[in-house]
Amino acid sequence: MVWILTGAVSMKGEEKGKMNQEISLPSEAGGWRWDGKEMNYDSRTLFKYIDGAAELYLAYGFQSLTVRRFEKSNQPPMMVELYEMASSEDAYGVFSFEHQDEAVGIGQGSEFGGGLLRFWKGKCFVSVYAEGEGAEVESGILTMGRGVSNSIPAAGAEPILVGFIPGKNVGLVDKSVRYLRSHVLLNQRYFIAHQNILNLNRKTEAVLAQYLQDKQKTQLLLIRYASLKEAGDAYQSFMKAYLPEAGGRDRLRTEDRKWTFARQRSEFVVIVFGAPTEADAEALLKATEKKLPRGR
Amino acid sequence: MKDKIITRRDFFRVTAGAAMAATVESGILGEVRAEPTAKVVLIRHAEVLGRQDKVQGEILQSMLDEAVKNLLETNQPMEAWKRFFKSSDVVGIKSNEWHRLPTPKELEAAIKRRILNAGVAEKNIGIDDRGVLNNPVFLNATALVNVRPLRTHHWSGVGTCLKNYISFVPDPWSYHDEGCSPLGKIWTYPIVKGKTRVNILSALTPQFYGRGAHFFDRRYVWSYKGLIVGTDPVAVDAVGAHLLQTKRIGFFGEDRALDVAPVHIMAADKKYHLGVSDMRRIQLIKLGWMEEVLI
Repeated sequence: MVWILTGAVSMKGEEKGKMNQEISLPSEAGGWRWDGKEMNYDSRTLFKYIDGAAELYLAYGFQSLTVRRFEKSNQPPMMVELYEMASSEDAYGVFSFEHQDEAVGIGQGSEFGGGLLRFWKGKCFVSVYAEGEGAEVESGILTMGRGVSNSIPAAGAEPILVGFIPGKNVGLVDKSVRYLRSHVLLNQRYFIAHQNILNLNRKTEAVLAQYLQDKQKTQLLLIRYASLKEAGDAYQSFMKAYLPEAGGRDRLRTEDRKWTFARQRSEFVVIVFGAPTEADAEALLKATEKKLPRGR
Repeated sequence: MKDKIITRRDFFRVTAGAAMAATVESGILGEVRAEPTAKVVLIRHAEVLGRQDKVQGEILQSMLDEAVKNLLETNQPMEAWKRFFKSSDVVGIKSNEWHRLPTPKELEAAIKRRILNAGVAEKNIGIDDRGVLNNPVFLNATALVNVRPLRTHHWSGVGTCLKNYISFVPDPWSYHDEGCSPLGKIWTYPIVKGKTRVNILSALTPQFYGRGAHFFDRRYVWSYKGLIVGTDPVAVDAVGAHLLQTKRIGFFGEDRALDVAPVHIMAADKKYHLGVSDMRRIQLIKLGWMEEVLI
């Protein structure tokens, strides 16, 4: 049984969002029944719902948020949050940003841990959680998640850029891939500089990933700019601010006794941070260059 | 110095303990001052949480009373409360209503009870969080109590007392730069400046780790059964952040990084001169239950 969103009672004081009207969230799953109310938020009102941290979603092209509460006797209430983002790449980005737990096969990418289910499908990012715990609750959360996933009709593409980073054969750390659209978020996952020295913006895409090299974690940052010129400007900005002593070279052993490499390849900028040796950095960089589109 | 770009390499250039200080003092956040000290009380009680972490109100009241008595070094708790408030005060209790880990109602009630006992009229006492800018008590307040749970936070590293005054500004998103370093600025605005009599961190069930904007995970919440109390919000926050860090190290075997480092605490000290952030200059008085006290 499904209810069309337009049949929901919107909570007083909250604006109706612009969520895709084709999505019909479940009204019941695993014995938890929707209480009939619905909270909707747009980019102006999202701050009311999220405790001072709406920027995460706004950075990924947030469009709308729909929140529903489900109840079951003698069980804690369950919450479903459905975020509609600007694109499927953005939905993937929100998911990737905090990814740390094991997948449970829901949507196009999922994780479940600590009573929190997170997944993405199409343009949507979804979280499901309960205000209590127990085996029945966990089972209910997963059942609810499957129901919500089924209600999202269309799948969407993962960011193409993610396919350009090397895989486990060169030490990619499981669940470490982050797809980023702003320097603020990049800094949260790997601090580079207070200022936006890589000129990241909504038109750029970045992938940050960890690799294990000689039992040490090395960071790979791959950025695609909207144009060759923008990539060139960003590369020069980075070299000037971060590696001013490189003297025209693309590498430097920094104060932590590790290697930082940076190269521009057409509209891409590839940076390796914290490689234990020069050879390790070179190998990771070359493996990345090899995967970039030919002719670039 | 104003335009200096602070990079990751600046952190490599100094030892780990001094790295953030070097960054903070390098121009973006102001100069170092003299070295005052601060006093903070940590009090715990093994029985303050019952089944399913139900707060035991009477025990919590006794913990709070004992904390303020020791903080102000009075013979009786009410002597301390009466030093905080006079009967003519209008008192706003700035709480925190985040639905996953709110300030316990029992703690709000315990505070209000003692303010009433100090002679303040009930109509002149308000408890609020996100509505403070529209609450007449807070708009006319002569005194504030700052109370909230201790937890990690997506943008500020830790959600503690300094962060709790974000509700006093209409544009909270404007305070998120540089790990929420500008949070201390809020404390200089007339609506709050000089009014805070006591800061209370509820460490009954703190959250020591978290990911992302709306994150709550029971794996990272533990029954610590404590309160952290002081008149210096920076010192109270420094103790709280230190406790969370110590718990993370014990739990993960390393100090697993937060979404951001809680640099706003040091900024509140070094730039806004709101208190003491250096643990070496904080006198921590530990009372009550000491099992797994961690700090």
